[in-house]
Amino acid sequence: MKGLKQIWRQYRLNRWFLFLLLVGLFALPLPQFVAPERKLVTNSLLFSFTQMFMLITLASNWNLTGGFTGYVDFGHAVFFGLGAYGTGILMNKLGWPFWPAMVVGGMISAVFAVLIGSATLRLKGPYFSISMLGTFVAMREIVRVSKPLTGGGEGLTLPPYLNRPLFYYITLILAILVVTLIWWIRRTEFGATLIAIREDEIGAEMRGINTTLNKITAFWIAAFLSGLVGGLWAYQNTFIDPDVVFFESRTVELVMMTMLGGLGTVAGPVIGAAVIYWLRDVVWASFFQYHLLVEGALLIIIVLFVPEGIMGALGDDSSTSLGRIMRRWFRESPKEGVA
Amino acid sequence: MRNDNHRIPLLEGRRVSKYFGGLAALNEVDFAVYPGEIVGLIGPNGSGKTTLFDCLSRVQDLSSGQVFFKGEEITHKKPYQVAHMGLARTFQVIRIYRKLTVLENMLLSRQWRGETLWRQLRPSHRQTEERAKELLHFLLLDRLMHEKAGNLSGGQQRLLEIGMALMPDPDLILLDEATSGINPTLIETIKDRIRALNREAKKTFLLIEHNIHFIGDLCSRVFVLNYGQKLAEGTPEEIVNNEAVIEAYFGADGGENDVE
Ligand SMILES: Nc1ncnc2c1ncn2[C@@H]1O[C@H](COP(=O)(O)OP(=O)(O)OP(=O)(O)O)[C@@H](O)[C@H]1O
Ligand SMILES: [Mg+2]
Repeated sequence: MKGLKQIWRQYRLNRWFLFLLLVGLFALPLPQFVAPERKLVTNSLLFSFTQMFMLITLASNWNLTGGFTGYVDFGHAVFFGLGAYGTGILMNKLGWPFWPAMVVGGMISAVFAVLIGSATLRLKGPYFSISMLGTFVAMREIVRVSKPLTGGGEGLTLPPYLNRPLFYYITLILAILVVTLIWWIRRTEFGATLIAIREDEIGAEMRGINTTLNKITAFWIAAFLSGLVGGLWAYQNTFIDPDVVFFESRTVELVMMTMLGGLGTVAGPVIGAAVIYWLRDVVWASFFQYHLLVEGALLIIIVLFVPEGIMGALGDDSSTSLGRIMRRWFRESPKEGVA
Repeated sequence: MRNDNHRIPLLEGRRVSKYFGGLAALNEVDFAVYPGEIVGLIGPNGSGKTTLFDCLSRVQDLSSGQVFFKGEEITHKKPYQVAHMGLARTFQVIRIYRKLTVLENMLLSRQWRGETLWRQLRPSHRQTEERAKELLHFLLLDRLMHEKAGNLSGGQQRLLEIGMALMPDPDLILLDEATSGINPTLIETIKDRIRALNREAKKTFLLIEHNIHFIGDLCSRVFVLNYGQKLAEGTPEEIVNNEAVIEAYFGADGGENDVE
């Protein structure tokens, strides 16, 4: 393990790897344009990649609050949902074009994040997690009953625009931009502040950091970006309804991906999302009736054997574990502070 | 200068009480530190010293009473606001950012007063970094600058916390058993630094210590807590000879004169 890591470092393999990976990803749809009749890359393959890019983006956003700041959000998909519905309503009811609808969808998510975060981010640990799960479920029901606006349980149809290569490129570029943004945030003082809040919020507050402001900022940035993904998802799916958009396991999925990759690292959610997505494709195909079982087993394996995820196992010591975050929750009850 | 009651206290607690359920950790404690002093806070285990620190620095809410800093009431202020006003502290249970490097820990402890979040997106000031490195050098931690703070030994982590408290150039520094687990030579160095900061930079210190020599060498005034109440107050010499204090520490028969 050690030897491999040294070779990896010495030859700066990660840079080459990253470069080749990006070139490969950008080149992948090209056969469709050059020789469409030979079906080298199918639309369904491009669709799979599109889904994966969206999951990578969502997991990276989740990691900003869950992994860096240590606020384990079990309702992050609410921002995805608001983005999807914002975009859907603007396009379906007001006839807006897609791009401005998507951006406004993201903004709706961000504004909602500031409002709800001002309340929930004051709660610590499990109380925050549960309150966000509640927010998520409540939002689904609100969407369901607001029939005139959202179409209720029957859902909304968006103007179909079936161009798989285009969605492939949009989601790829969004994923690259988001991961780069988060990589950059981690290098700024703001990013370090978020980790400080996770590691010791009382200590950070006592040393002059306005923790509430920093938490809310991270929260709305993540919400905005997830809102954009929601909009994209709605458009490429051409149809949204409360159950498909506010799908329960959507958040859990993001948590699992980030945990597998490595909480609090930039690469973690990317690796975790990619691994789980393809694993699921295989699992789904071969053990259809057992896939939930297999995923549950995977979660247990992560918690027990690779608590700091793939990045942690590879020796990245900025990776943290859910266990570490949770131990901190119980060391510090909200009002009583230090013992 | 020290007992000059005409001056405004730098930090003052008025009838500070704190209850945990039925337990009165602090019971109507009146307490003041004047600018330029080094005050010691002592008392048996569980007498409420740390709780008093927590109430004064706003980490815990008071059950009743008021706290003033620089003449301004801070009873309902947030810890970060108090920090911006020039109060810094260390914690008995170490609070550092274990997954950040030693240098990052120091840089994040800089003075934040009056800065916008926007500022945080730009690289840190050169002076901030130089100050951090100078302090790390003084605390013999400069070789570990790029190490994750969680990998430091217990004593080194305590030193780092002291460094983090000095980093924002505060006016008042509260140290909660900051020297426990630190080697004696370095304790002497820290003592000298505290003395120098007090004389030259006019920094005020409030120290919780079980090491009575440390208190005796540095403090002009000592405040004794027992069962959440003020037991005595005076110069170190007065305190070590105070009957009530000896009784609180060693029981009714007096015991050996360890408090020396
Ligand atoms: N968060 C808390 N919840 C309940 N009780 C507490 C809490 N913090 C402190 N106490 C109680 O308050 C009392 C005073 O505790 P405190 O930590 O202030 O003592 P101390 O003087 O600092 O002791 P030591 O010298 O051991 O550090 C103790 O009886 C303690 O059990
Ligand atoms: Mg204590």
